[in-house]
Amino acid sequence: MNAAIWATVGALFSAGLAMVVLRRQLLAMLLGVELMIAAVNVALVHYAGVFSDAQALAAVAIVIAVAAAEAVVGLSLILKVLRSGKGLDAGDLAELRG
Amino acid sequence: MMLWAVIVAGIVAAIFSAGMLLSRSLYMSAVCLLVVLLQTALIFVLRGAPLLGLLQLMIYAGAVMVLVVITIMASGGAAADQRFADFCLPRPLAALGVLAVAVELALTFTAAPSRAALPVPPGGLATAFSAELFHGYALATEAVTLLMFLAALALLPDKEAA
Repeated sequence: MNAAIWATVGALFSAGLAMVVLRRQLLAMLLGVELMIAAVNVALVHYAGVFSDAQALAAVAIVIAVAAAEAVVGLSLILKVLRSGKGLDAGDLAELRG
Repeated sequence: MMLWAVIVAGIVAAIFSAGMLLSRSLYMSAVCLLVVLLQTALIFVLRGAPLLGLLQLMIYAGAVMVLVVITIMASGGAAADQRFADFCLPRPLAALGVLAVAVELALTFTAAPSRAALPVPPGGLATAFSAELFHGYALATEAVTLLMFLAALALLPDKEAA
C-alpha cells in the first residue's frame, strides 16, 4: 500500500511540477499547481491513515479550501490579463522583467 | 482488494496526469485534471477519509473545474502554437537540481526515524478530525472562511470593465 501511494504521489507531483515549469499557457500552469496540491493531499490522507493522525486530516480540509480560493483568484487574474488583450502565453507577460 | 483498488486508481491518475502534461488543448488538460481529481477522491475514500473525498468532489471536481472550463471558454480555448516553453536553464544546473531532489528524497526515506502508529482515538478518527478542525484549528478554520469570502470579491467586476 505504501509503495502504491507514494508512487502515485510522486507521479502526480512530478507531472504538476513539469506543467508549471515547462508549459507556456497560464491556465496550464494553474492546472499544474492544482495537480501538485492534489498530490500533497493524497500524501497527507495516507499519512493520517497510517499514523491515525487527525491533524493531517484537518490540514487536508484547510488545504482544499485554500486551494479553491487560490484557484478563484488565479482564474480572475487570468481573465483580467485576457481582457487587457495580452493573450494566455506566459512569455508575453514581461512588463515586470528587469 | 482495497490495495488493488488503490493501485488501479493511482495508475489511472498517473496516466491522466501525463495526459495533462502532454496535451496541447486546454480542454483536454482540464478533463484529464477532472479524472485525476476523481481518482484522488476515490483514494481518500479508500484510505478512510470519506468526508474529505466528498469535499474533493464538491469543491475541486465541481466548483473549481466549472470555473476552469468557463475561463477556457472565455479565452477561446485555442491550442498553443508551442506546447512547452523555451527552457533556458543551463543543463548542468538543471541536472544538479534533479540530482539534489533525488538525494534528498532518498535520505528522507532512509534516514527518517520510523514513527509508531498512534492508537486510534476514542470515537474514531472522524471524531478526532472534527475536534481538531473546530477546536485545535478553530482559528485557522475561521481564517480560511474569511479567505473564501475575500476570494469571492475577486470575481466582482471592476469599474473599468463595467
